[in-house]
Amino acid sequence: MTAVITCIFWLLVIPFCIGLIPANFISAEKRSPGFALLSGYFGMWALFEIAAVPAVLWVEYDNFKVASAVFTVLTVVCAAAGTLLLYRNMKAGKPGLVKGNWRTGSRWRADRADNKDDICVRNERGSGARIKALAKGLFGGTGVEWLLFLILLGFQLYKAAAFASFDGDDAYYVVESLLAQEAGVMYRILPLTGGSTGLDVRHAMAVFPMWVAFVSVRAGVHATIVSHVVMPLVLIPLTYLLYYEIGRALFLRTPQTGADSGRVGPGREGRTHETVFRRENLPTFMIIMAVFQIFGNVSIYTNETFFLTRTWQGKAVAGALVIPALVWVFLQIYDKGVKNGRTEPGIWMLLVCVNMTAGVCSSIAVFLVCILTAVTTFCLAVAERDWKILFKVGASCIPNVVYMAVYVIMAYSYLL
Amino acid sequence: MWGIFLESVVIFKNYMGYHENHFLAGIYLFALLYLWLTEKDRRRRVLFVYAPTLILFLFFCPLFRKVFVRLMEDSETYYRLLWLLQMSIVSAYGLIRLMGKHRRIGLAAACLAIAACGDYVYDSEHISRAQNVYHLPQEAVDIVDMIEPEEGRITVLVPADLIYYVRQYSTDIELPYGREMLIARWDYYNAMYEAMEEAEVIDTPAFAKLAREYPCAYVILKENREIREPLTDYGYSVYGQVGEFVIYKDMTL
Repeated sequence: MTAVITCIFWLLVIPFCIGLIPANFISAEKRSPGFALLSGYFGMWALFEIAAVPAVLWVEYDNFKVASAVFTVLTVVCAAAGTLLLYRNMKAGKPGLVKGNWRTGSRWRADRADNKDDICVRNERGSGARIKALAKGLFGGTGVEWLLFLILLGFQLYKAAAFASFDGDDAYYVVESLLAQEAGVMYRILPLTGGSTGLDVRHAMAVFPMWVAFVSVRAGVHATIVSHVVMPLVLIPLTYLLYYEIGRALFLRTPQTGADSGRVGPGREGRTHETVFRRENLPTFMIIMAVFQIFGNVSIYTNETFFLTRTWQGKAVAGALVIPALVWVFLQIYDKGVKNGRTEPGIWMLLVCVNMTAGVCSSIAVFLVCILTAVTTFCLAVAERDWKILFKVGASCIPNVVYMAVYVIMAYSYLL
Repeated sequence: MWGIFLESVVIFKNYMGYHENHFLAGIYLFALLYLWLTEKDRRRRVLFVYAPTLILFLFFCPLFRKVFVRLMEDSETYYRLLWLLQMSIVSAYGLIRLMGKHRRIGLAAACLAIAACGDYVYDSEHISRAQNVYHLPQEAVDIVDMIEPEEGRITVLVPADLIYYVRQYSTDIELPYGREMLIARWDYYNAMYEAMEEAEVIDTPAFAKLAREYPCAYVILKENREIREPLTDYGYSVYGQVGEFVIYKDMTL
């Protein structure tokens, strides 16, 4: 029971509270519990990189214990800051930090408030009406699709918990986590055999197994159980939460304005005639994504295969969570329209954290996210004739540049 | 350069599973083409059309491949560049645009197409019902429970079947060699591995001598493993048996 409570604290409460910080710096309609949790996770992993990578490289004894202590302090401080922001917003009569709210005075709210048929406006009458509206939306329109998606998600979670997936790399990554848990050291013992070893920089800077070890130590659960059972049960829903947020950005908001198109259907004309901007498309998107993951095993190399067969490894997290998160962030960067055409600071904070998370997952992921960022930003700059975006996005990649510089220096220091 | 390009083509085919008649890439390329033709919003075109196309171009570009491999010092991970294509997101978005108002029938058709062109992940030979909460073979857990020391660490010689699992359960068990010996393309050499796994029949005197150099407190052999003379003649005693694995304890240590 203690282990469950500890896991909930470190895997739900802490990241959620951290995520309130970037949520405070974005416009109200973009906020959601999903945004807070996801950005909190990326923030938490970024903090873990700050705590663990220097400890791996420059602390010789008990480096895991040092990193754990620093990380604990950093996360608790950030979570407290997030909670404080929530409290201040509530006190100021702006309760939308978590759920996003039209009471916060955005232009979007003014548009919607005139529409009395709008489901969100009607919801303002109270929680009873809110529940009724939710039930109507769920069971009257797209309930079947949502139910189907939940079945697919539940099926994947069941398979993750009840079935074992063999992967040879576990002999390295899972054992690294277990060594950190049992011996209190990171990357100083050869996981394959148990002998002592020099620092393998390529693997040592990707500290995702150490985060797994941190959760294991805090929960008091064997790191192999955390890797093979707890992580899939956390990371699979988290990944689908990201897909949900991507779907929300794609189908619930019209591009350019960033406004929620709401329900477009007979008798209720939205702001666009395009059929793609419909609430109904969101569960459709989620089902296709889930089916794609289940049938994406066309080879052992696809990120879909990695996602469901080695969910707990950093590279799988990079493929399934970090790279799609870049797509999500870019959708939000495009989605200007609210504050004088400027992208909100919270989105830039999120982009920095996503970039740093890539380094936590794998050294190659750092390079990959840089490529995707560069290609997308270049295309965006050309399409928008907005060359400033190159510098802004480039600045958010500074942690990646630092990471790669440290990597090169450590890997080739023997030449100096 | 042409050779490097052809290598990239082979990597692409292997990634997409063409050799096993999987055509999920066909759905992706169809969705990409459809978005090329129909997506009007320029920002979404950047994300779902231009960026994936440019990444595909980079993937096949020999010069880019040379730079990537040089920087990463690893040609085996080049396929991960294809992760940037975001096959599932681009396909889902393209298919939903294509469905238009025919959402439910379109959804059914899309799911059927994905199932037909893809491969069911849980059919994999590497996935089996978990035998315990560790998701490790129960035999590995039982063996370690039998031999794990109360204090300190010991070295144990185990067959290839157990090499991946023993240290995932307990790091108090050390191994003379690890998983690196099982990957042929890594091309490592270890005399103990040669004596244990590569020899058709285990040469007992040389084998026992090598094992004592580490020293291995326990030697675990499959019961049907051919051995020239019984280990019990060389200072070992049978400590126990778990399934097909016989555990020998070195009594000289």
